[in-house]
Amino acid sequence: MKNSIRWAVGCVLILYTSEALARVKLVALPERARVVVALGNPSATLVEEERLITLQKGVNKVDFSWRGVNIDPTSIQVRALTHPKDVIILNTSYPPNENALIWEIASGGAQEERVRISYLLSGFNRDIVYKAVAEPDERSLTLRNYLRLRNDSGEDLTEAEVNIGYGAAFKKTIAHEEVLEMLSERIEGVAIRKILTWDAATLPWDPEYEKKTVGIPLSYIVTNNTAAKLGQHTLLPGKVRIFIKTKEQPAAAGEQAGEGVTFTGEDWATLTPVDREMKLYIGQSRDVKVTQRKTKDDKTNIRRNNGNNVVLHDTDEIYKIEIENFKKTPVDLVLVEHIPGYWRMAENSHTQQFRRKDAFTFEYHLTLPANTSGEKKTVVTFNINRLNVQGNEPTTY
Amino acid sequence: MRKLFPSLFVASAFAALAAHARINVVTLPGRDTVQLTVYNSADLTLVKETRVLTFRKGLNRLEFSWANTLIDPTSVEFRALTHADDVDVLDISFPPRVTNTLEWRINSEFAGEVQVEIRYFTSGISWSADYVLEAQRTEKLAAVAGYVRINNNSGEDYENAQVRLVVGVIHLVDEIAKLAAMGRPGQLPVPPQASAMPAEAKLELAKSVRLLERSAAVTGQAQVVKEELSEYFLYTVGARDTIPNGWSKRLPSLSTNDVPLTSYYKYEKERWGDAVVRYYRFKNDKASRLGNEPLPDGQVNAFRFVTDDLLYSFVGRSSVKYIPIDEQVELELGHDSEVLVKPILVNWTKTDLQFDQHGDVKGWTIRETWEIEVQNSKEIDVIVDVRRNFSGDWRLTTRAEYENVDATKIKFVLPLKPREKQKFTYELTTRCGTNATR
Repeated sequence: MKNSIRWAVGCVLILYTSEALARVKLVALPERARVVVALGNPSATLVEEERLITLQKGVNKVDFSWRGVNIDPTSIQVRALTHPKDVIILNTSYPPNENALIWEIASGGAQEERVRISYLLSGFNRDIVYKAVAEPDERSLTLRNYLRLRNDSGEDLTEAEVNIGYGAAFKKTIAHEEVLEMLSERIEGVAIRKILTWDAATLPWDPEYEKKTVGIPLSYIVTNNTAAKLGQHTLLPGKVRIFIKTKEQPAAAGEQAGEGVTFTGEDWATLTPVDREMKLYIGQSRDVKVTQRKTKDDKTNIRRNNGNNVVLHDTDEIYKIEIENFKKTPVDLVLVEHIPGYWRMAENSHTQQFRRKDAFTFEYHLTLPANTSGEKKTVVTFNINRLNVQGNEPTTY
Repeated sequence: MRKLFPSLFVASAFAALAAHARINVVTLPGRDTVQLTVYNSADLTLVKETRVLTFRKGLNRLEFSWANTLIDPTSVEFRALTHADDVDVLDISFPPRVTNTLEWRINSEFAGEVQVEIRYFTSGISWSADYVLEAQRTEKLAAVAGYVRINNNSGEDYENAQVRLVVGVIHLVDEIAKLAAMGRPGQLPVPPQASAMPAEAKLELAKSVRLLERSAAVTGQAQVVKEELSEYFLYTVGARDTIPNGWSKRLPSLSTNDVPLTSYYKYEKERWGDAVVRYYRFKNDKASRLGNEPLPDGQVNAFRFVTDDLLYSFVGRSSVKYIPIDEQVELELGHDSEVLVKPILVNWTKTDLQFDQHGDVKGWTIRETWEIEVQNSKEIDVIVDVRRNFSGDWRLTTRAEYENVDATKIKFVLPLKPREKQKFTYELTTRCGTNATR
């Protein structure tokens, strides 16, 4: 038998047999006047449906039952919309071993009433899928936001108003076991920043000793604000596939070259509220080479205990980072350095580009000019002194 | 299905025969009234029913049986409500080889109809509270509706019953369900040496309930009358109702609008990691249009109106603890990524080193500079409560306002406007080893 939600208005006769309760129902079945599916809460799908029921003056019984539909029975509630002051929900009865309930509704007159029932429905899920096409200069992209609805709830939802928590609701019909994907938003000219991130804690310092070319992680940063043509709502988590515009080869010599796209990578977007950044890791760059070396590593102010063991010292450390950009375009690169414990910067070649992130981490935000390899390479040096080192200094917090 | 049968012997015929072979001629008086007093802290319901029996002068024998129910045989009591001075219970017999049956031997000086009350405990009936909270779009006001749901799995249909619900925690030395399963009074367990509550507490409670019954004036349909009773609170459902075995019934118990609401967010790394946890806060007091009664513990479904025609968005589900009058209610609604609290340790130093006679470090002092970023990406006003825990000999200096929660915990409470970002800093000095002075 088909899965269904049924409303029954009329008299519900309750008959008792010797061991089990049987209910004989004489019912009218009101049609759905409206269905609204709210998907704003990522952990729960709320359905609100409206039906026109005819009430007699006095106490009426309204039966609501469902079969094969994943309704959370503790979430069901009903509201009278037409005459909220004159139509009162007196109580709710729950028969044993049935997916059903019966409302006793008092009505001040014989009248038609629009009622709205709300319940949480499981098995109706939504995914967000983003597709982004970056301009060739990688400074902006067109973002398309797709909503993918999966209905495994057991119920066919016809002409349902779907509300995803932002923007206008839209009407869709989604049958049980149907997957429906639709474009919910298309935004052109979304500003992005493309950055490479070289982290001293995770990447090899000297590429010469590596068998393969070291790839430096490449990310797009999207800020969810109005300056980036976003900032209207929280960006929900989902998979982002990123393409870049390319010129197609002309089909024949002398013909106009068409426009195409090439897939450059994908990542999971995390939930990004307004005014916060989304960082999408899309691949690696192998056209930028970073070589970091420690050119000085001295212990100073050494203090020993009576057993001649070192119990405390300072350090004098110099680091040199050589960066080559083999690309024909400038590149933004972030160098991430980690220094545990108590330290002071003694000398720094790039104070303008220096950013202290926290007590044990700092970064250089560099823009590498195009074609700066070999003699033209960028060289960053810094000299730090670690103080009162005992060997148990914190590296994180 | 009705399973309780009080049977009045028309004559004391054949009673002297072996009990398992008794042939009885009985009348079956119907119940006139039934009242259920249901507890939520224990599987216990006090059932009080009245019936009219016709006694003859002299000895009357009344059999009461309760097959397939969950009645505690040690709790069954009988008393005459009319002609009470003329009707005496001589003794109660639990016949051999018969379970779920007792027999009262009653001497009556009066011949005719007598209204009697039969009272007993049963298990299998429970009740729970639940609430629906509807927040306005700004989340500054809310409508709060409370409900009580009664579940009858006692094996007995209680028709046209008055239902009373007790909010409170009572002590029992035996589970009613276990006593019911025995079918007849069994051997009493040895009482513990130091009982948390005397056994007669149960009787005392029943007595106070009885006292209250006399004063409870119950009128009006779908009304729940609430009264204070010792350390308990008694809800009486106004309308009489039938709750057949296996059925549940949910009734409205309170409803109020325009309850002032605060969207309150808490951050405490030690409890929730990096997540910020969202709460709805309101007070169970008169100023908040509540405060007429304590709120029993129960589940809350919280919604927010999102359109002019009052469509809902589902905010979350939570459970509330028992809330006394004037107490603050906090509904935990889960993590909310739209409010960010990000503590950053921006500087760390270790200084003031002291050495012992062996030349080893014996004392040092850690100074930390913390910057806390708080960001509200929501479109509503929020309050953010940031808690920080410290240990050892710590001192704090900051320009930000804070409150000491206890010796090792402080809290900063910041109101934030929609889309507002704030930062505050503090310096924490921790003296370690021999540098510590406390």
